[in-house]
Amino acid sequence: MLDTSKAQLDAVASIEHEREESARRGARAARRQSLLQKLGIIVPFALVLLAGIVLVPSFLSASNITNMLVNGAILAITAYGMTMVIALRGIDLSVGSSQAVAACVVAVSVNAWGLVPGILSGIAAAIVLGLLNGVIVTKFRVPAFIATLATLGIYRGVALLFTDGAPVMITDTAFRSIATSSLFGIPVPFILSVLVGAGFWFVLEKMRFGKHLVAVGGSPESATDSGINVKRIQLIAYIAAGATAGLAGVLLASQLGSVNGSLSTGLELQAIAVVVLGGTSMAGGRGNIVGTFLASLLLAMINAGLNLLNVPSFYQYIALGVLLVFALSVDSAQRAAVRRVFEGRVA
Amino acid sequence: MTTTSAITEPETTRTAPTSSVTSTILSFLSHQYLVVVVAVAFIVVGLIKPSFFGAGNIQNILFETAFVGIAACGMVLLITAGLLDLSVAGVIAVSAIAVGTVLPYTNIGMAILLAVVIGAILGLVNGLLVTYVKIAPFIATLGTLYLFLGASFIWTGGKVVTVTSSNFRALTTDSIGFLPYPFLTLIVLAVLTYSLLYRTSFGRTLRAMGSNQRAAELAGMRVNQSKVVVFMVAGACFALAGVFMAGRLSSAEANMATGIEMGVIAAVVVGGTSLRGGRGTVFGTVIGAMLFAVLSKSLNMLGVSSYWQYIVTGAVLVIAVAVGARRRSAAEVRGAG
Repeated sequence: MLDTSKAQLDAVASIEHEREESARRGARAARRQSLLQKLGIIVPFALVLLAGIVLVPSFLSASNITNMLVNGAILAITAYGMTMVIALRGIDLSVGSSQAVAACVVAVSVNAWGLVPGILSGIAAAIVLGLLNGVIVTKFRVPAFIATLATLGIYRGVALLFTDGAPVMITDTAFRSIATSSLFGIPVPFILSVLVGAGFWFVLEKMRFGKHLVAVGGSPESATDSGINVKRIQLIAYIAAGATAGLAGVLLASQLGSVNGSLSTGLELQAIAVVVLGGTSMAGGRGNIVGTFLASLLLAMINAGLNLLNVPSFYQYIALGVLLVFALSVDSAQRAAVRRVFEGRVA
Repeated sequence: MTTTSAITEPETTRTAPTSSVTSTILSFLSHQYLVVVVAVAFIVVGLIKPSFFGAGNIQNILFETAFVGIAACGMVLLITAGLLDLSVAGVIAVSAIAVGTVLPYTNIGMAILLAVVIGAILGLVNGLLVTYVKIAPFIATLGTLYLFLGASFIWTGGKVVTVTSSNFRALTTDSIGFLPYPFLTLIVLAVLTYSLLYRTSFGRTLRAMGSNQRAAELAGMRVNQSKVVVFMVAGACFALAGVFMAGRLSSAEANMATGIEMGVIAAVVVGGTSLRGGRGTVFGTVIGAMLFAVLSKSLNMLGVSSYWQYIVTGAVLVIAVAVGARRRSAAEVRGAG
């Protein structure tokens, strides 16, 4: 009798010990992960900023700073939606094409109907395209990367058909001044990107929807089992990705003043690169809006620096590819570090 | 008839004895509905536009089939192994530019060999990134797509490399009867790919790791090594497609194959290879490539804006995968991340 209760006590004690141990391991893993995650963006950001100031002439001139802030802001807005989708363990390869459709729609409708209806219809078009992505992924169960690869082609075709392959000039000067005007010396697109980013940060970090979204990304099966409506969350995330691509498309149209159907080709790679570089894991389950914002500015700095140094634009492809591979290596190193903490160094 | 069904469905030949001719035909039609679709599309468009049946147009279709099909032979191996390669356009550009650049200095055989070796090396880069840096295949190869494109822009300085060798053009564009050499190459390559996939231990490893990578590892198969090798084989196939495209266009440039990856993947998937991995049909892949060639030439003939081709290809791809997902419900898709 006494023996059995002692054995039980021992068992309880060992279970508790086991729990403490695993909690400690979990905390250590989380610390290591967040350290790597922060280093992954802050170190390159500081290095590039320093290199830019030292090596590139007129890197700190007012016009270059404005230029970098505007370009970084437009990329960041696109990448916020992508952050959501990637945190969900999905992907949206069609952002560049959605953005082209939005920019073309906004150009044509601003010319036809004026400022506000034009902007609204551009964003609405992008939301419809995002919704279509979401429906194909959730209702037809097509894997996200293949669904959005197909819609990348489809939306590009739509954009080219819509403009008939010719550039569209925007005549409305009020619209064209949106991207170039500033408030208290800060460019309007940059302010917009901070505001939208704050909204996304709030949704991801502080709202139930954000917690559910990260849970779905961590493990879709467990999320389903704990009663989360996975398909609804996926659908909303793809709509958000479409909407942010559209908003960025409006700003881009305003910045350029003239749009065409092949606008933003290859944007998906930049968006994915900044999202992953910002510390959002390709394996899902973690979103980092602040990192995405910083990484967008980093990419804008790199591009501006290469431009000022008169490097041919082909090299920007290479820079982007290297940056992406670096970001993904950090991502997989991060996951390996976490795995090591849990499994020991045996494997 | 039995050979074609054996190529696509090795299992069915064992289970379905050919009792009567009609049942054989019916089972062939139900398995190979795609052949019927291609034939119907071909005949219908031909009836509307009689010039569609012209020898020149049929040859155009066969050329188009060959370019996409040769690349798709590599892609079907990758998709069967649960992998994917989006860098097709980059590999084609680099290898075609290589051919165009070295042709004036060497003979045709060496130039083609060089292109294929370069393709295999680029495939090696992809394979190492996926296998040892452990980056998801579609994202690693999306990155290398732009790396390879950037490299080819830098190599050519954004200019077009012209292919002047008339012997090379003859080798890549002549035909026996009405069958162009590239198409004959496709047939040979398809037979080789089929043999590789279903008659060798390497192919068995590919199929095993496509259906369950962990199980394949536990069974003692060399999964990592096979992954790298299959990326190299696929890269060589893409490069071969690039060689023929360079001959057909008499030139090579960085933008020559932009967007071809979607057509290649679509041909494989429409042919009946599941994106989940584990099994692949080479015959279906060739027919899939032919379907897109017929569709694109039909749209041309009917005077539809070429922008519609983006839309049609994408829509067919989504529908094919959606139908496959419906048939195989609740299936977790591999290679997605």
